[in-house]
Amino acid sequence: MSIGLLALVVLLTVLIALAIRSGQDFGPVTRRFIEQFGTLVPRMLCALIAAGFIAQLIPKEAIASLLGEDAGLLALPIAAAAGLIVPAGPVITFAIAAVFAKSGASTAALVTFITSWSIFATHRILIYELPLLGASFLRLRLVSSFVVPLIAGLVAMAIGLVTGFGTVVPLQ
Amino acid sequence: MPTTAASFDFLKSAEWRRGVLRDAFGPSFWGFLAAAVGFGLVCLAVKGTDVVWDALVGDLGLLLDLMPRVLVALSIAALIWVLMPRDRMSALVGSDTGLRGLVVATIAGTITPGGPSSAYALLAVLAASGAERGALVAYITAWATLGMQRILIWDVPFMGAEFAILRFAISLPLPILAGLIARRLPFDLTIKGVAPTTPYRDSVDE
Repeated sequence: MSIGLLALVVLLTVLIALAIRSGQDFGPVTRRFIEQFGTLVPRMLCALIAAGFIAQLIPKEAIASLLGEDAGLLALPIAAAAGLIVPAGPVITFAIAAVFAKSGASTAALVTFITSWSIFATHRILIYELPLLGASFLRLRLVSSFVVPLIAGLVAMAIGLVTGFGTVVPLQ
Repeated sequence: MPTTAASFDFLKSAEWRRGVLRDAFGPSFWGFLAAAVGFGLVCLAVKGTDVVWDALVGDLGLLLDLMPRVLVALSIAALIWVLMPRDRMSALVGSDTGLRGLVVATIAGTITPGGPSSAYALLAVLAASGAERGALVAYITAWATLGMQRILIWDVPFMGAEFAILRFAISLPLPILAGLIARRLPFDLTIKGVAPTTPYRDSVDE
């Protein structure tokens, strides 16, 4: 059993214990589980299979030279730009991140990519942010958090100089 | 309320079951399936049968590895969704203009469960009730970068626990930074229209 799974199982056990102690109704929990499972798992399967093929098709050297350790600081703006232009939710984004990781992208580049996507995700801006909050909030938020992905990447890079902690376990 | 047989009545609802199936095999599912088949065919044409076979065998191993983690992560997300009252999380965010206000907003954003349809609805309620701009930016930035749901369902299974911890630890102070920047920007802020009510059924962030 991997550390990731172990940590999740421990957390789940604690939460179940808490829920039982507080007399929680497990009906809505089951319902939420089935609804999320139904939407995510079939898409996840297809996205991962597609990612497996894409990883075979794209030249690993190209990804490694843009996002790998050898790209140095340049990897960070490239990763931030890549995260910025993914107009989709986590299924596609994490499938792409897995392809990047398999092709030799550095941990710092992956941190930047995921952070950049999570902040700028264009589909979320169009579907939720503009209709609910409007353009003036969007402008304020984007300008305020513009540097966040790059700072995250720089800190990850600095940590990477000291320790290998956080290296992605390549999904293969 | 404790669990009773009636708690599971939703399972008997044909309408609910149809809804789950409709979501599971909605348009974007077919898009993903088409992408998988399409890239498989391109791979077959360019690289040949052996490579396609290798990729599929690799995918199978990956899925066997991934599925237990995804199942546990989805169970955790479902429990948190029910255990954590979302409106109480966002009610923590107020008009405190000090650093404290940003720290509270960051914590509230981190522990607000669910996808964007509920997080943005809560943000709109906060904005309409006159919460301070730095706190608004810190709250939604924390939800986006540190949100537990995303880290549990996506970072941990796909990238590993170490990567998830690293990304979380690095990002921890960043919503506060974004909030501080937001407070210093001279932009006018006009919040749009009437705040919507929080949806009971959060659409799943796919």
